[in-house]
Amino acid sequence: MKESQKYWNPVLETLPIEKIRELQLGKFKKIFKWAYDHSKFHRKLYDAAGVKPKDIRSFEDIRHVPTVEKSMMRDIQGKDPFPYGDALCVPLEEVTIFRQTSGTTGQPVYQPDTWQDWEWWMESWAYILWAQGYRPSDRVFIPFGYNIFVAFWAGHYAAEKIGCEVIPGGVLDTKARILKIQELRATAMMGTPTYILGMAETARMKMDVDPSKLTIEKITCAGECGASIPSTKKRLQDAWGAKVYDHAGATEIGAWSFECQEQPGGMHVNEALFLAEIADMETGEIIEEPGRRGKMIITALDRQAQPCVRFDSKDVIEWAAEPCSCGRTSRLIQGGVVGRADDITKVKGVLLAPSAIEEVVRSVDGLGDEYEVVVDKVGDADQIKLRVEVLPEAQDQYQLIETELQDQLRLKTNLRYDLEICGCETLPRYEVKAKRFKDLRKQKSED
Amino acid sequence: MSKQIDIKKIHSKIQLMKNTAEELEQLGKNFPALSRNMVRILASLKMLEINISDVVNLERDN
Repeated sequence: MKESQKYWNPVLETLPIEKIRELQLGKFKKIFKWAYDHSKFHRKLYDAAGVKPKDIRSFEDIRHVPTVEKSMMRDIQGKDPFPYGDALCVPLEEVTIFRQTSGTTGQPVYQPDTWQDWEWWMESWAYILWAQGYRPSDRVFIPFGYNIFVAFWAGHYAAEKIGCEVIPGGVLDTKARILKIQELRATAMMGTPTYILGMAETARMKMDVDPSKLTIEKITCAGECGASIPSTKKRLQDAWGAKVYDHAGATEIGAWSFECQEQPGGMHVNEALFLAEIADMETGEIIEEPGRRGKMIITALDRQAQPCVRFDSKDVIEWAAEPCSCGRTSRLIQGGVVGRADDITKVKGVLLAPSAIEEVVRSVDGLGDEYEVVVDKVGDADQIKLRVEVLPEAQDQYQLIETELQDQLRLKTNLRYDLEICGCETLPRYEVKAKRFKDLRKQKSED
Repeated sequence: MSKQIDIKKIHSKIQLMKNTAEELEQLGKNFPALSRNMVRILASLKMLEINISDVVNLERDN
């Protein structure tokens, strides 16, 4: 790669860290004032906390700005200005695009964007794709349902902006998508780790096509933690014979992070466009040092219609100790998004992140990609049931696999599981985000 | 690498384009094909400001 073409933005991506901080502080002041001046929702929230735009002079002052929860956004929607409610900062006629969240954690939240916001979405994605090696010579296949969720819409238009040739794989089924990749010799694609693994399985088992022999060279994954979980990344890369890169974003936030071509075991936060803070999950204290996990509080520094100011994302992250060798000065989060604060739960007194179970399941040879975890209470005791699939070629190693799985789970999560090893294609398949973790204790307490 | 790029010069060109685009948008009050295209161009220019001008303004503010 030519050194001169390494970065999408050679100015911002190599800006000294102290300059990035100055930029973030200045931009935070502006977006906070914008939200305060143009939205009743934000003004009421900030007035109640006694924080006004003139009070923001330092990062310490930013910490006094109240956070916004997804539930607050749910509460205001459906009211005037309909259907978004009073967090809207522009006249309704300036809204050009409606999206909504996927509803993984409850009722979907509506998200309005102006045309400028949409340009900003594409721009944020252009940083991601360029860092992952997308260039005008690429033919990018997008196996995505092009629907009400933002998902890979902005990835599509960012790839166009970069100059790639984009193939929208919209309403095609999985087999037709694989055939189209083969027919057109696509070089890159985007999808959730679950779906990309599912495509590979369909190709191998139902079409007698080896996906690693197709022409895909790079895959951008999003929507789930998978591409940052080493065993899942390995399965994805092995299946497709391609480099797999992670990206994390959200409808209410934007495309805030990405893994670069160095694959440094973490993701860059695009700090010129976003201010990410990590808050201790119990005390709320802001964590600056590497290696301590907390939940991410994030501000999109340039988003206009429905600003994202100190949004409590519930994504669990930690700062990496070392900068990336790619030369980008923005900070890395170690291991990507390691889980959701909603999903990290205490089982038998031990803190459990579902991603730790995935890491184990996908590291055991002979097991399929799918699994399902159900946490329940039997009497007074917590119980975790883990269902996995054994591959046809490993049916005779059932006992060996069960022992290895139980040992690895005990080692990595400090818990014992009730294992159910099923036949291939027993567990549900997902096209977008998978729902593999169920905590029935929560459901029972809500009933 | 960024030292070799004259961001002040780029910034001044962006401002020229922005001024022109804003003038054209004003002239398009009864001309949707002009005004709506200018809205899109101004949104693209805003991305150039985010990418370059905001850094120049940072130096100017100090």
